[in-house]
Amino acid sequence: MAKRVAIVSVGMDKFKGRKIETAEEMIYKVAKNALNRAKLPPEAIEAVVYGCAVDAFTATTAAEKVTIGGSNARLKPTMRSCTSGSTAISSPILAYYHVASGLHNMVMSVGFEKMSECRPHAQHVFNTVYDEFFVRPIGLNVPIQCGLEARRFLHRYGHTEHQMAKVSVKNHGNALDNPYAQRGKKVTIDDVMSSPYISWPVKIMDTSPTTDGARAVIFASEDMVYEITDDPVWVKGVGHCGDSVWFMGRNNSDLGRLDYAYKAAQEAYHMAGIEDPSKEIDVAEVYDPFTFKEMQHVEALGLCPEGGAGRMIDEGISLREGKLPVNPSGGLIGEGNPIGAGMSRLCWAWLQIKGQAGDCQVPKEVNTAVCNGWGGMYQYNAVMVIGRD
Amino acid sequence: MEKQVEQINLKGSININYEWTAGIAGSRFFHELKDHKRIMGTKCPKCNRVMVPPRIFCEECFIDATEWVEVSSQGELVTFGDSYLGTDGSMLEKPWILGIIKLDGADGGLVHFIGEAEPKDLNLGMKMEAVFKDEREGNILDIKYFRPLK
Repeated sequence: MAKRVAIVSVGMDKFKGRKIETAEEMIYKVAKNALNRAKLPPEAIEAVVYGCAVDAFTATTAAEKVTIGGSNARLKPTMRSCTSGSTAISSPILAYYHVASGLHNMVMSVGFEKMSECRPHAQHVFNTVYDEFFVRPIGLNVPIQCGLEARRFLHRYGHTEHQMAKVSVKNHGNALDNPYAQRGKKVTIDDVMSSPYISWPVKIMDTSPTTDGARAVIFASEDMVYEITDDPVWVKGVGHCGDSVWFMGRNNSDLGRLDYAYKAAQEAYHMAGIEDPSKEIDVAEVYDPFTFKEMQHVEALGLCPEGGAGRMIDEGISLREGKLPVNPSGGLIGEGNPIGAGMSRLCWAWLQIKGQAGDCQVPKEVNTAVCNGWGGMYQYNAVMVIGRD
Repeated sequence: MEKQVEQINLKGSININYEWTAGIAGSRFFHELKDHKRIMGTKCPKCNRVMVPPRIFCEECFIDATEWVEVSSQGELVTFGDSYLGTDGSMLEKPWILGIIKLDGADGGLVHFIGEAEPKDLNLGMKMEAVFKDEREGNILDIKYFRPLK
């Protein structure tokens, strides 16, 4: 029987387009921040789980080795999870498994990425993630793949560029109140609509920036969590899955519907005993590297009906003061998108439940939150539901 | 403390060269493309799906897919992307276009360049055809691009 597992702390630090810190230094700061927040000594952590998405960003292959010192993991069990961008949540899920198994009482999960170092641009690294025989010679890259999928998504459900722009306005604006954000700013729908296309319907201001940053989360077993806190926030459900790397081999080959994300969400909600997420989830921090990704994910996560993402933003449901706030922190678009440290979505979900989200705190009671991560060649999803009893 | 430190940037690069095998299915596919201008797929004996690009197994049934079938060089435009961002991250004045073409007689298809068309000429679901190179080398660029069916 799996142990119940609580999250007892998160480690935060500023996201920036270019940080002076090395990966090890970034990790030290968030690991220390997480320990300090829970008033824990470093030796309380029994094992550490790492996540970063793409080794080539970190000036070395096998990037996980630089994480050991910064997270006080010398001579401790360490393990890395890598599912591309969904590492942001699959890595914390792996840390959860460590504790749920009963083998460890307290485990830290660390996510990081240093995207600023590749010249002339991080896109050079992204260009190397594609299949070398059928796809890379054609020059497929992340921006154009966005266009391929977003066009199909809009075609399938009738969503509009205007609705995408509203998501951008919301997330950039929310990040103004996030002290760790790279890119909080007040923007208008016109600003977004008039920004240059990277691939129709996706414009520059529909996208998240490249970012340097790290995050940490500490998981504790039910056996000792009350020694740390009287108000544990439990991991209630986890789900993750990947679909075929071949576009036309996907479960849904039309690419407009993310079957893999629906499945990951169903697993997590089933485990959490949640039947209607649109009523039972109080706040969501979803993976939004592009505006249309937030729209796809709120549908897949059941926060609105399938095809209802446009209405959700039109009616203000997903605003911070709305009925079901989505990315009140600013999400990846406003806070920044250091891929493995997209784990920040989980950190902010926890901060909201604890009432520690500062000026990003939603004006309502928060007991249950959901977050997700997405990645690969648009093929992975990882979902975590956390909350009080 | 950090504020007193002036950042030092160290320049470097990692250069790695490769020579990849195209695999069992890929080698056959590229031979057929080069020698006969044929687009070939493999068929699952259980669910009958025809996979292009070909694979030696069916991912769903998880059994060998050993039968090779020729599929059409024409198909349907599933989606397309017109990109204003170059592969080096620079902004382009004129977009280039990629599409996913589901080939007739196949359950799969290819990601490829779209040629002889501008974005305004393209609609999802329209018929497309492959244009082959005259001198072929045994790789995916032996197809120059797909264009709207003439």
